Amino acid sequence: MSSKLIAIITSADAHVRNQSLEAVCRGMSLPEFLEECQQLEVFRRGSQNLYERVRALFLVYAIHRFHLPTVLGRGGRGLIPFEGYTHLLHRRFGEAIETFLDTQQASGPSDAISSALAAAYYALGFQTLAEQVRRSVKSARGNQWMFRMGHPSDHPLLVRPELLRKSGNGAFPILRECTPVRMDLSHSGWSDIFFLAMDYPEGARVLNVSIDLGVRGRDRAPRPPVEAYFRIIDEPVLKLASVDLGATVVISNLKELFDFAKDYLGLLKAAVIASGIVPPGIEGSEESLVELLARVVKPGHGIEIVSCVNNIPKGSRLAVSTSLLASLISVCMRATNQARHLTGLLSEQERRIVAARAILGEWLAGSGGGWQDSGGVWPGIKLIRGVLAGESDPENGISRGRLLPRHDILGESDAPPGVRPGLQDSLVLVHGGMAQNVGPILEMVTERYLLRLESEWKARQEAISILDLILTLLREGDIRGIASATTRNFFGPIQKIIPWASNYYTESLIQRVRSEFGEKFWGFWMLGGMSGGGMGFIFDPACKEAAQTRLQDLMCSLKSELSSALPFAMEPVVYDFSINEHGTLAQMLDGEAALLPQGYYSLTVPNLVRIEPQRLTPAQRVELLTFGSVCRSKPEYGGLVETLFDRLVPQSDGRTYSTSELLSLLNELGFDHAQHEQIRTDLRTGRIGLAQNLLPSNVEIKDVDESDVFDATGWFQVPRRSGIEKGKGEAERSDSYYRECKERGEYALASGQIAVLTLASGIGSRWTQGAGTVKALHPFCKLHGRHRTFIEVHLAKSRSTAQRYGVTIPHLISTSYLTHQPIEEYLRREKNYGYLGPLLFSPGRSVGLRLVPMVRDLRFLWEETSQQQLDEQAQKVRDSLRAALVQWALQAGEGNDYVDNVPLQCLHPVGHWYEVPNLFKNGILKRLLEERPQLKYLMVHNIDTLGASVDPALLGLHILQGNALGFEVITRRIEDRGGGLARVDGKVRLVEGLAMPHEEDEFRLSYYNSNTTWVDLDKLLQVFGLTRDDLDSRLRVDEAVRNLAARMPAYVTLKDVKKRWGYGQEDIYPIAQFEKLWGDMTALPELKSMFVSVPRLRGAQLKDPAQLDGWLRDGSASYVESLVDS
Amino acid sequence: MNIRKAVITAAGKDQRSLPLQTLIDRDGEQRSVLGVLVGEILSAGIEDICLVVWPGDEGSYVKAAGEVRGRLHFIPQAEPKGYADAVYCCRDFIGNEPFLHLLGDHIYLSLAGRSCAQQLVEVAMSESCAVSAVQAVREGKLRYYGAVGGRRLSDRQRLYLIQKVLEKPTPTEAELELVVPGLRAGHYLRFFGMHVITPAVMEFLPQSSHLSQALAKLADKERYLAFEVEGQSYDVGLRFGLLTAQLALSLQGQDREEVLALVIELLATRERMRRQGP
Repeated sequence: MSSKLIAIITSADAHVRNQSLEAVCRGMSLPEFLEECQQLEVFRRGSQNLYERVRALFLVYAIHRFHLPTVLGRGGRGLIPFEGYTHLLHRRFGEAIETFLDTQQASGPSDAISSALAAAYYALGFQTLAEQVRRSVKSARGNQWMFRMGHPSDHPLLVRPELLRKSGNGAFPILRECTPVRMDLSHSGWSDIFFLAMDYPEGARVLNVSIDLGVRGRDRAPRPPVEAYFRIIDEPVLKLASVDLGATVVISNLKELFDFAKDYLGLLKAAVIASGIVPPGIEGSEESLVELLARVVKPGHGIEIVSCVNNIPKGSRLAVSTSLLASLISVCMRATNQARHLTGLLSEQERRIVAARAILGEWLAGSGGGWQDSGGVWPGIKLIRGVLAGESDPENGISRGRLLPRHDILGESDAPPGVRPGLQDSLVLVHGGMAQNVGPILEMVTERYLLRLESEWKARQEAISILDLILTLLREGDIRGIASATTRNFFGPIQKIIPWASNYYTESLIQRVRSEFGEKFWGFWMLGGMSGGGMGFIFDPACKEAAQTRLQDLMCSLKSELSSALPFAMEPVVYDFSINEHGTLAQMLDGEAALLPQGYYSLTVPNLVRIEPQRLTPAQRVELLTFGSVCRSKPEYGGLVETLFDRLVPQSDGRTYSTSELLSLLNELGFDHAQHEQIRTDLRTGRIGLAQNLLPSNVEIKDVDESDVFDATGWFQVPRRSGIEKGKGEAERSDSYYRECKERGEYALASGQIAVLTLASGIGSRWTQGAGTVKALHPFCKLHGRHRTFIEVHLAKSRSTAQRYGVTIPHLISTSYLTHQPIEEYLRREKNYGYLGPLLFSPGRSVGLRLVPMVRDLRFLWEETSQQQLDEQAQKVRDSLRAALVQWALQAGEGNDYVDNVPLQCLHPVGHWYEVPNLFKNGILKRLLEERPQLKYLMVHNIDTLGASVDPALLGLHILQGNALGFEVITRRIEDRGGGLARVDGKVRLVEGLAMPHEEDEFRLSYYNSNTTWVDLDKLLQVFGLTRDDLDSRLRVDEAVRNLAARMPAYVTLKDVKKRWGYGQEDIYPIAQFEKLWGDMTALPELKSMFVSVPRLRGAQLKDPAQLDGWLRDGSASYVESLVDS
Repeated sequence: MNIRKAVITAAGKDQRSLPLQTLIDRDGEQRSVLGVLVGEILSAGIEDICLVVWPGDEGSYVKAAGEVRGRLHFIPQAEPKGYADAVYCCRDFIGNEPFLHLLGDHIYLSLAGRSCAQQLVEVAMSESCAVSAVQAVREGKLRYYGAVGGRRLSDRQRLYLIQKVLEKPTPTEAELELVVPGLRAGHYLRFFGMHVITPAVMEFLPQSSHLSQALAKLADKERYLAFEVEGQSYDVGLRFGLLTAQLALSLQGQDREEVLALVIELLATRERMRRQGP
C-alpha cells in the first residue's frame, strides 16, 4: 500500500504539500492508520531533510493523539512500559518510540500506548526543530568563531582605546546604548517563529514599529525604554547590574558567568557571552576570566555592564527582554570593535549580527521567541520577511528558509508622512496587567502549521492577506482602516488559529470600550503572541486623551472584578509612546556626563560607603566623588541621598510582608497551632516527608482484574473528531442491565434523591501555577461561543439534567478560606448563572500554614523521583536554579513558617479528604436533609472533571450495586500520573502516586482515578459511626471526623508558589504543605466501594492549561458542550 | 608590466628607529634591517628605491644603508598623517608606474629558492595587475593585520582575486566578508607587508588614513590579486620581534649550527642550575 501521507510531505506541488492530515485520513480504518504510521516511521528514519522528518513526526503524533483513540473500539485499556517512560524523561525520544512500538506490536494497539507514542513523537518533533535552530544559530556567519575560541590567548577582540582613556576627573568614560522596543501591527499569525519561517518563508512576514515609551502619569515623555551601559573598571572582574531588578553581581570566574539562573542577571550574562566578550566556546575550559579580561581589556582591568528598562513592566508584548538583550549585545560589540562606529547608528549588517546574536543569547539563557523581537534595533516601521535559503546559506538543503529574515524599512512612499503622527494620535497603548507565558502558544502554532490543519491553515492565509491589506492602508494613510484590519485579525484568523490568544478579560474590556466610545472606538490591536498584557486600542484622535484616562479606569475596575479568576501580575497601566526613527543608538558619556542611571547608584553606593576609604580603588573613589557632586548639582539625582540612607541600614525593602496580618487571618480561619507545631517537628525530625509518604516497599501492588471494575464505557457515545459517530455504544445501550440501571437512576433523579458536590476549595496549583487565583472561576474556554468558568459549566450540566427530569437538583460547592469569598461574590454577580435549584456553599473548616521545605525533600523530589530532563541548555539553567533554591531553603530555615509572601499565599487547604466530612461539620448536610429528607445520594466531583454529570445509568448502577462509595475510573494514558486503581496486598483500592514505593508500580496500573464519586449518604455516615440524627450534635460529628481523619495518611507535598514583585516580575518557590486525600477512603476495610470504568471524555481532569488545547481538539470540549445548554 | 621602483615606509612615530637596528644576515654579515630590506628589493631586479622618513632622519638612514646608500631617495613625511599619506608622499617619485612596496619594520624570509620580493614581482609582471603578498593566519591574530577576502583563481597556484580588504578586522567581520573558499576553518589571508601596487592607488590615498582603505577601493576599480608567497615576514616592532627575526634569519643561514648550539647551551645551563639549586 502506498502512503497517502508521505505524498503530502514530499510532493513538489504546494497544493498537494499543503493538504491537511484530516483531509487525507478522513474515514480511514484502524489497520489503515497503523499502516500509515508504520510507513511514516520508516520514512522519517530514512529522510535526510529536516522538514520531511519533522512533518512525518508530527503526522504520526497527530494520528496517535487524535485519530486512533476514536477508532480503537471499546475500552482501549493497556499498559505503558516504564522503560519507555524513562527514555522519555531522559529525552531519548528515539528509544522511547522503539520501546512503545515493540509494546504495540506485542500487545496490540491501545489508547494507553497511543498516548505514549503521541508524547514521544511530539517531543522528538520539537527536539529536532530546536536542534536545527541551534545549529543554524551556530553556523550563522559572524557567530561561528565564537564557538571555536577556547583559550584566552586566542581571544581576537580588544576593547576600543577610547574607552580606556580616563577623563580629567579620573573616571573611565561610559558607552550608553539606547534602544526602542517594537510593536507589531501584524505577525501574520505568529509566522516569525523560527521553525515556521524556515518551513514556509513565503508566509513569514511581520510588520513592526520601533517605539519609545513612557508610563502615563509616571514618566515625563516617551524615550527609548531600553538602556545598556558599558564601562571599563580597574578590577579584573565582570560587574553586572540590572537597575530594574535591583540586582548586582561581581563575577571573577568563567563558571559563574555560565551559571544563568543563579541570580536575576541571566540575560546580562547571556549578552556578555553572545557578544563574544566571553565566547561560548570557552565554556567548561577551566580557563581564567582574569587572563581573558587582561587580553581583551588590559591587565588588572575588567568590565562593568548595567541594564535599565525604565521599569517597563514584564509581559508588555513589546519584546522588552529581547530588545534589552540586543541592546546589551550591541553596546558590547561596539566596545570591542565589532561595529564600525563606537557611537551613533549601526549599519544594516551590524544590526543583522546583533539580531543573530540575540537569538543565540536567548537560546543560552533558556528563553526564546520569534525573529521579529529584536525589531527595535531597526528604525521606524519595517516589513520583516522570511527568506528562501540560497546555495551559500548554511540552511541550504536542510530547510526551505533561512534562520534570519530580511528587514525593509518603510520609506515615505510606503508610509506617507501623515501616517506616523496619525498612528500616534489614535493608538492607546496599554498593559492590561496579565503577564502570561506565551511559550505554549508558540508551540501550538508550530504544531498546527506543520500539520497543515485545515481551518488553521486557511486562517493563516487570511492573516497573511490582512498584512497585505494593512500595507495598502498604510500607503493610503487610512488609520481607521488599519484599526478595522487589526480588529478583524484578532477576532478572525488569530483566534481561529489559537483560541487561547484571547481571554475573557480582553474581550470584556473591548466590549466595555466599545459600548462606551461607540463609533469613536475604531478597533483593537493585539500585540505580540497573546492578549491580556500589552494591547492597543485605536480611537478617533479627537478623544484619545479621554480614552487614555478612561481605559485606565476600565482596566482597573475589570481587573478588580476578575482578580480571583485570572492571574494578574500587576496593576494595568496606560503608556505614552512615539515612533522611534533611529533604531538603536549609542553615545559616549565622558567626564562629568559619565553617569549611570540613578537606580544604579542606590544599588551600589551603599556598598562603596561601607568600604574603608584606603581600600577603595581609584575608580571607586572617583565614583563616590562623582556621586556626591551630581547629588548637589543635578536635581534628578536629588532624591538619591534619602534612598541611600534607606539602604544603608537594612530594613523593609518593600518585598517583606507583615506577619501580623497573616496571624490575624490564621486566627480568623480557626488555624490549629498545636497540630501545626506537631507537623513542623515531624517534618524536621524526618518522621514525615516525601520519602515517608511511601507505602512500605514490601507491599504488593498489582493491576486489578477485569472483574474488579464495571466497564460502563460502552454506555456512552464516543464522538469522533469529525463529529459524533452514530451507532457506537448502541449495542451496549440496548443491554437490559443498562436499561435497568438507567430506569433506576431516572427514578432517583425524578424523586429528588440526588445532589451534586463540586469540590472547589483547592487552589489548583498546577492550573494557576501558584498564582493564588481561584481555578473554579477561571473563564478557561469558549463553549457555545462564550467564555465559561469551570463553575458555570458544572452548574449548566446540573441545570440541564434537572430540566430534563423536571426537578431541581441541589448543587453544593465546597469552598475554603481562599476560594469561598471570591466564588460567593462571583456567583452573586453572575446571579448563580441562572441556576434554579438550591445552590449551597460548604465552607472548609481546616487550613494549614505552609513551611519552608526541607532540603532533604527538595533533593528527594529532584533526585529520587523521575523528572523530565530538559534540553541541554534549559537543563543547565534548571540545575542552576535548583542549587539556588536549596540555598534559599537553608537561608530561610528548613521547616520554618513560610511567611515571605502575601498572607493568602502562605496558607494552604489541607486536601480533599476533608470536603465531604465538612458537609457534616458545617451543618450543610443537616440543613439539606431537613429540607429534602428524600435525599440519599451525592455525586462528588473535582472542579476540573468537566465531563462529569448526573448520568442516570451510572446513578442507577450505584444504587443497584448497593455500595457506600462508587468511584469512576478511566483507562490510563501517559499523562495520567499520580496513582491509580490497584490490588494492594490483594485489596482493590485507589493508591496515590505519592504513596507508590516504586515508581514503576504506577505503570503496571491500567486505570486512573477520575475522582468522581457516587456516595450513598447513609452508608457513608455509617462508616463515620454516625446516623442522620447525629448530624444535630456538633460534638459527636467533630469527634467522628477526627477519629476517621486519624486513620487517613497525611502526605507531605511540595507545591509551586508564586511570589510577585517589581513590575510584573515573578519568582516561583517550592513550598512544603500537607494533605489528606479522598481516594484513601477505599483502603478502609469496612467500607464497600465499587469502581466503574467510564470514557475519558467523562472522566478526564483538566489539571494543567497545557492540556486545554488537546482537550479542545480531541472531542472533549464538544462532549461537554453536548451536556450544557447553549 | 614592468616594475622598476620600490617604496619603503619608515616614518611612523614608533617605527622610525626600527630600520636602523642591526642583525646578522643569512650570510653571517652584520647588516641593518634597512640593509636587509634593500637587499630584498635588489633581488627582485629593482634598483630605484624611495624611503619615506620622519623629517630629519635621513642622515641616520644613509649611515645605516651602508654600501647601498647610493640607490636610495629620501622623502620626508612633513606631518604624521598616517600610513596612506606616507605612501602618497611618493607620488612624484612613482609617477605613473607600478611599484613594489615594503614596510620598514619588517624582515622577509623566503622558504623557496627566490626571495619573497622576487616571487611577488614575477607574479605581478605576469598578471599585469596589483598584487599583495598574503599569508594564511588564524582568526585570533587578525587584530594585528590588514586582511583580504576573495576567491581562488582557477588553475593558478597560490593566487586569489581580492574582493574585499579590511584593516584589523574582528573575526565577526572576517566571517562575513573575508571567507576564502579552500582555506581551513577560522583561517584568513592577512597582508604579508609587501605589495606591488599600480599608480591608480594614488587617487584613493588622500581620502584614506590607512593603506588598506585605499587598497579596498583599488579592488573595486581594477583587478587586484593576492599571492601566497612561499616565505615568512617578521615584524621587528613587536615584542621580541627583532629577536624572532634574528633567530629566523640565522636558522636559515650559514650560522644555523652555531645558533642552535647557543640556544641549546642556554637551555641546558639553565636546567643544570635549576637542578643544582641556589
